[in-house]
Amino acid sequence: MDTLLIDDDPTGIFLTTRLLRREGQPTDVVTSFVSPVEAVAFFRQLGPADALPDVVLLDLNMPLLDGWDVLDALKPLEAHLLGRCVVYVLTSSLAPTDAARARQYPLVAGVLHKPLDRMEIRAMQARLQETRPA
Amino acid sequence: MKATPPIATCEVRFRSLFDNTPELILYQNEKATILDANPAFLALVAEPKDRVVDHSYNDFLPPAVQPLFAEKLQEAFTGKTVRFDMYAAQGQSAPRHWDVMKVPLWENGAVVGVHMVARDITEKVLAQQEVVAQNQDLQQFTYIVSHNLRAPLASALGLADLLGTEEPGSTYFEETRTHLLTSLHQLDRVLRDMNTILAIRDQKSLAEAEAVPLAEVVQQVVQNLQEALDQCGGTMRVAIPAGLSVRANRAYLYSIFFNLLSNALQYRADERPLEVTVTATGGEGQETRMTVADNGSGFDQEQAGDDVFKLYKRFHPHRPGRGLGLYLIKTHVESMGGHISVHSRVGEGTRFTIVIL
Repeated sequence: MDTLLIDDDPTGIFLTTRLLRREGQPTDVVTSFVSPVEAVAFFRQLGPADALPDVVLLDLNMPLLDGWDVLDALKPLEAHLLGRCVVYVLTSSLAPTDAARARQYPLVAGVLHKPLDRMEIRAMQARLQETRPA
Repeated sequence: MKATPPIATCEVRFRSLFDNTPELILYQNEKATILDANPAFLALVAEPKDRVVDHSYNDFLPPAVQPLFAEKLQEAFTGKTVRFDMYAAQGQSAPRHWDVMKVPLWENGAVVGVHMVARDITEKVLAQQEVVAQNQDLQQFTYIVSHNLRAPLASALGLADLLGTEEPGSTYFEETRTHLLTSLHQLDRVLRDMNTILAIRDQKSLAEAEAVPLAEVVQQVVQNLQEALDQCGGTMRVAIPAGLSVRANRAYLYSIFFNLLSNALQYRADERPLEVTVTATGGEGQETRMTVADNGSGFDQEQAGDDVFKLYKRFHPHRPGRGLGLYLIKTHVESMGGHISVHSRVGEGTRFTIVIL
């Protein structure tokens, strides 16, 4: 499960990376951006044949561009990303409005609350297996 | 059958109401001329009756509300009772909030005049505005609790869980423990911030205001930042008239300039030596206008929008900071009845302007 983390908090990145590792995820397939601006730039420069991450874990509360801004910035790439790349919002906020808002973005498969737990990681892996049999 | 009271009694009753009610009562014709005014109105505009009766009501109203009154009077003359709120001065009085009613007087099937009854609702409106402001504060507080308090807490929960499975003594174990400590410190800092903010809000009053010599306070701040300033090769120019003082709380004023100048240092541009200019104008009986301008990295004002002075909002992702400084500055400025604004351009610099009466 090639995973991309977008989170401005280095502790958040460390924690999520280690939790994924504990569920058997090799560390070398986890990439991270502490800057949402750079994450958007990364997606924009991708060529049509370039490999995409299977899963993106996107934080919401970030300076300059928050998670929703990132999703808005990815809108033009939506057609290219759909079916190849799944976004999960990963936030420490418990605001019930987040889930409703996330449903407006076809790229987003769900809202997860920090810290990520075992079951959630396994569910993500299972979903990936289902939609993309090896 | 009940006896109808004699007409004289009726008149005495209504005269008593007209003379003694705190509400303003006017009787007007279609041209807005005042035909009668009660003592409450005369007292408010501080004029004897002969300088009010036979004068236009417009003589006592600021130009801004005159069209509104003309329109409502017209409406009342069509036979409708109209009611509206307005905020205006009357005569030489201070501006107040009024609940105004215009009631037509019918005679032989035609409206012959209009009574106006105006009630002073200033206290009520101010209390309402305060409730609205407090509600907004509360909402912001809820937001902080759900975001900024839970973020380090969620990290700590995850890290503590991780500690259970990492090999004690291993590099990852130590790194996890360090991150856990960081998260707990963050949590503590958010709680301390809340404490600071609540402390300012509690003392929100001008009670501690004194005439503070501005140049002295700014010099004190510059002195305390001198070492950091020298280290980055920056210069600060202070142009404040020697005798200028501001009616303010000294500690707040110090905190405002300390935060603004620390920000200038922290968000300086790497490409050029920092230059900061502090100016102030004003004096006896005038508003004091203070500016702090730098040639630093600036921020994208369009993108930042209304968030500039909001709590825990940050605009320089690659530099440390937790989004408290400008929020504190604004709270301090406003608690002294002042106003702060900002103008910034990426790569050029930032200028803050503070106005205190």
